[in-house]
Amino acid sequence: MAICQVQFNDDTVKIPEKVLRRDQARLEELERRRNEKESQSVAEENVDYFTATFSAEKAAIEDLISSCANTDHEKATKMLEDATLKTQQLQKFLNDSVMFLTQYELRQAQASVQKLQGSVVERRAEVMPKKKFAFRSRTARTSQPSASMPVGDKDKTTYFVGNAAVHVRASAEQYGFSNVDSQVLIKRSEEIQQRDVLLSHLADCKVILYGSPNTVHIKNVRDCQILCGPVSSSVFVDECTGCTLVFACQQLRTHNTTATQVYLHVTSRAIIEDCHGVSFAPFNWTYQGMDNDFRVSGLDPKRNNWSQVDDFNWLASGTPSPNWTVIPESERISCWDAKEPSS
Amino acid sequence: MGLLTILKKLKHKEREMRLLMLGLDNAGKTTILKKFNGEDVSTISPTLGFNIKTLEHRGFKLNIWDVGGQKSLRSYWRNYFESTDGLVWVVDSADRLRLEDCRKELGALLLEERLAGATLLVFANKQDLPGALSKDAIREALTLDEIKTHHWCIVGCSAVTGENLLTGVDWLLDDIAARIFTAD
Repeated sequence: MAICQVQFNDDTVKIPEKVLRRDQARLEELERRRNEKESQSVAEENVDYFTATFSAEKAAIEDLISSCANTDHEKATKMLEDATLKTQQLQKFLNDSVMFLTQYELRQAQASVQKLQGSVVERRAEVMPKKKFAFRSRTARTSQPSASMPVGDKDKTTYFVGNAAVHVRASAEQYGFSNVDSQVLIKRSEEIQQRDVLLSHLADCKVILYGSPNTVHIKNVRDCQILCGPVSSSVFVDECTGCTLVFACQQLRTHNTTATQVYLHVTSRAIIEDCHGVSFAPFNWTYQGMDNDFRVSGLDPKRNNWSQVDDFNWLASGTPSPNWTVIPESERISCWDAKEPSS
Repeated sequence: MGLLTILKKLKHKEREMRLLMLGLDNAGKTTILKKFNGEDVSTISPTLGFNIKTLEHRGFKLNIWDVGGQKSLRSYWRNYFESTDGLVWVVDSADRLRLEDCRKELGALLLEERLAGATLLVFANKQDLPGALSKDAIREALTLDEIKTHHWCIVGCSAVTGENLLTGVDWLLDDIAARIFTAD
């Protein structure tokens, strides 16, 4: 005990210099750190700084919005774009500062930003009334006397002219048949290869598509018989009535269709939505070169889920959907008699 | 809003993002998801419900929700809006007849309060088809230039070939990251 005491006394006498030095070093380090911190971040993580910057920015944006007059359309657009951008930056600034703000300040700032966004939108509506976007394939059709002809790829150059661009593009320039009555329509394998085919607004027609398209859209078709080779991806059917459809595909999506028979080869799944009286049977059409077309399409000829139809309006499992049926074997068509006219 | 921001900060450590993929039926949403994840795309069926995939990309953990686009399913889309960081809108560029539907559905989504903070990526899909509209034509038809409420970008892609899928997703990640993760 005594020895310890002596030792202790000894130390207190001996060490001060060392302690002093260390203390000095510690203080210096502290000072250095403080300086470093100040130079880096303190300015930005300070509530006063935030408030000042925020309100300055806010005032600038408000000025921008209020000075935006109806007279010069282009200038007004530019200013509103500016205001939108600045508001977004302000929001980002607020987000970055959220850690050191009090709940109250945060709420206030958030409300200000929202108000700014609101007034930008209002101002935009005032200065630039919304452009009306029109898109009607029907008007496009009637304005095109040539639309009743099968549309081939050679017509590509005619689209995209002037204001009507969107209208024209809707119906023209698409490979397939549109707006035809009471005819036999045929496409050959060589030209159809892996294209996207559209059949629309047909009535009382027989359509035969040899070859393997990539995808097929069938829309607004009445009392037609449509035969088609293997389709690599999906077939999309919409608004068909009284038709007989015969094809192979990877997916079939059927919408708004009534009283239609489908002779189907589908490797994944067929679905119906908003349909009534649709009936299914297995695909039984053959033509010369079909095996090769199956190879091109990538479809497995042995895998056919034609009878597993999902009805999106009938999700009750257990009870079958009343919207589709299987065609009884005795009533199935077996001879498609794809006799071609000599033309 | 304040709480949401703080929650987003908390995600910072995991660098996790939630992406919601929507679009009309037959647009190719599931195909994009599967292709992006390196899965087989030849057996895909029309989506009855939804698919969810969690995958790692560039150090981010992505939760991607792919919700069926059939008309009868669209009213359920809203169930998936909550805490979405990025909205991926997929368009069938070859389906000219439904572009107007497509524009309307997208317009309605952008008014949703719960999607207000989300970044929008528009995929003009099926560019591999000869009859597909260009991404600029899609941009015009969907009047994307009028969108001022969201950060957006349109990318032409093909889910079947995988072309440009990465470009689009990378843009989306960068934009979201700049917004919800503060710099270290």
